[in-house]
Amino acid sequence: MVTNLEQLPPGRNAVVVALGGGRGMVNRLEAMGVRPGKQVRKVSTQFMAGPITVLVNGRQLAMGRGIARRIQVDAGG
Amino acid sequence: MAGSGKSGGGERQMRVLLMGNPNVGKSAVFSRLTGAHVIASNYPGTTVSFTEGHMRCDGRACRVIDVPGTYSLQPDSRAEEVAVEMLDKGDVIINVVDATNLERNLNLTLQLLKRRLPMVVALNMWDEALEHGVRIDTDALSERLGVPVVTTCAISGVGMKDLQRSLADARAGSLEFDDADRWTLVGEIVEQVQRIEHQHPTVGQELSHATVHPVLGPLIAVVVLAVSFDVVRLVGEGLIGHVMDPLFERLWRPVVVWISGLLGAEGILHTLLIGELVEGRIEFGESFGLLTTGFYIPLAAVLPYVFAFYFVLGILEDSGYLPRLGVLVDNVMHRLGLHGLTVVPMLMGLGCNVPGALALRVLETRKERFIAATLLSVCVPCMAQLAMLAGLIGRHGVLAFAPVLGSLFVLWVVLGTTMKRFVKGLTPEILLDIPPYRFPYWGALAKKLLMRMRGFLREAVPYVLLGVLVVNLLYVLGIIHWAGVVLSPVVEHWLGLPAEAAGALLIGFMRKDVAVGMLAPLNLSLRQLIVAGVVLTAYFPCVATFVVLLRELGVRDMVKAAAIMVVAAFATGGLLNLILVGVGL
Repeated sequence: MVTNLEQLPPGRNAVVVALGGGRGMVNRLEAMGVRPGKQVRKVSTQFMAGPITVLVNGRQLAMGRGIARRIQVDAGG
Repeated sequence: MAGSGKSGGGERQMRVLLMGNPNVGKSAVFSRLTGAHVIASNYPGTTVSFTEGHMRCDGRACRVIDVPGTYSLQPDSRAEEVAVEMLDKGDVIINVVDATNLERNLNLTLQLLKRRLPMVVALNMWDEALEHGVRIDTDALSERLGVPVVTTCAISGVGMKDLQRSLADARAGSLEFDDADRWTLVGEIVEQVQRIEHQHPTVGQELSHATVHPVLGPLIAVVVLAVSFDVVRLVGEGLIGHVMDPLFERLWRPVVVWISGLLGAEGILHTLLIGELVEGRIEFGESFGLLTTGFYIPLAAVLPYVFAFYFVLGILEDSGYLPRLGVLVDNVMHRLGLHGLTVVPMLMGLGCNVPGALALRVLETRKERFIAATLLSVCVPCMAQLAMLAGLIGRHGVLAFAPVLGSLFVLWVVLGTTMKRFVKGLTPEILLDIPPYRFPYWGALAKKLLMRMRGFLREAVPYVLLGVLVVNLLYVLGIIHWAGVVLSPVVEHWLGLPAEAAGALLIGFMRKDVAVGMLAPLNLSLRQLIVAGVVLTAYFPCVATFVVLLRELGVRDMVKAAAIMVVAAFATGGLLNLILVGVGL
């Protein structure tokens, strides 16, 4: 099931399929470990359109929802 | 590069660049190598512009440059642009790599290799990597990259000698690859040199998840901040009551009493040095002489709180809690046109607005910098001022502080939401690496605390003395009286303060702590203390902060910000006065 990181429920694992957004943002995400093929785990979602946190390579990243929305992931099943 | 045989002299000094991802410990490596004192903390972006120091390598003096952390050499942000510019000026690179996060760090390492500069890789946080079961074959990594690889733990100093020695073997890497295959190559190398043993979740990771949990997180934050506040208050009060006050009373009082007697207890020199006697007695807080209040304010009234504050801030910084707090408040901060990590400069501003203002440089857009700078100067009182207010308001109990901090907080929200609507520009979304929790390393914490205390004393003592001197001169020249008359419609009728309080507004531009000190002899009521505390915080920054903000914002934006400050301060002060009178205070 392909969805995006914003929609992925907390506690679920998924594999990154594609990154959207400008070249600069894609570069930064890749450099921070979010790349196609990478396994990510959604940790939490803050209320009131707050940021989400994910676990990549055993490290926690926080990102705004707009960024998370542009990251396509495959949640399996 | 090594063994050129020539000694220093007229020859250009070799430049060593410290480069790496954000928050891998470059600043810690820098201070170990150079002995220079720089602030290192556990969150990204501690170093916003480059810092230079000196060290000896190969028996020659050379310059070490601490370059801001970057994830890549594609110039997507200002920090990266700075890094790329610095590359053209460097002779040798020390690439500092976070050993616990090899894959991500190697991306930059490979980009650096392409520049064909002599390089050494320092696998930093080696102790932490071992603890987490990360095993890296350094020989294999060194062979693969074609440059020396040493393991270090900069915060404790382990491996720094090896790193220094390895600089003699620094060489340009031999790895050939196409840029498009970089990530594949990174994966290949990691596969080859790294093994990860047991990776069960540690207490730190569990705690890490709890502190950004949408429900638990804010609860934990409230507890952390409440405990921090209490610790600062208790340590500050304790040090004043049990150490500084007794010291001043027992050791310093006899000295100033003797001097006062020598001067015949009156006259211009007595006024300048000792000040006014209160009922025939020297009062360190109220007499307002250079030797009495001039020393008492920075050393006895403020220093204990500054010490307590930076002690607590240091623990929060080095543990890694602050980025998590940034994530929790991000949604609220976005309503003010800021993003979550701006909470860090704001907290630093509570210690002193100057470092807070400098830290605003990490913000990417003009809109963010303008809003944050204005909110910092209007709504964030510095510890020097808070400590003095604690002395005055504290007599009415801890709760008497709530209206002051509460009003400033409400003003912060109202002003922020307003500016968000009217200031043009963008506020980028947060994208933040959250470092693992670490136990603060006490040695590093103590060093940082000491540096900040020294910084405070160097800034505060001369300015406070100057401030006290100016206060006396203004009194003698009648300027304070004149200001009281001119400003009386605002000060007396609108703010409900005695006309003499106008003098505090004048002096507040020099030092806020001296300004609050001027209120001490006026015997203000609680209502007046609350109003004066809020207005003195909000109406204008002190001159040191003003200079920094002027440089960071530019003249045009600073004028706008200043107008906002003055209007916001007097509007709030007047309304607050009306409300407090209304509730019968």
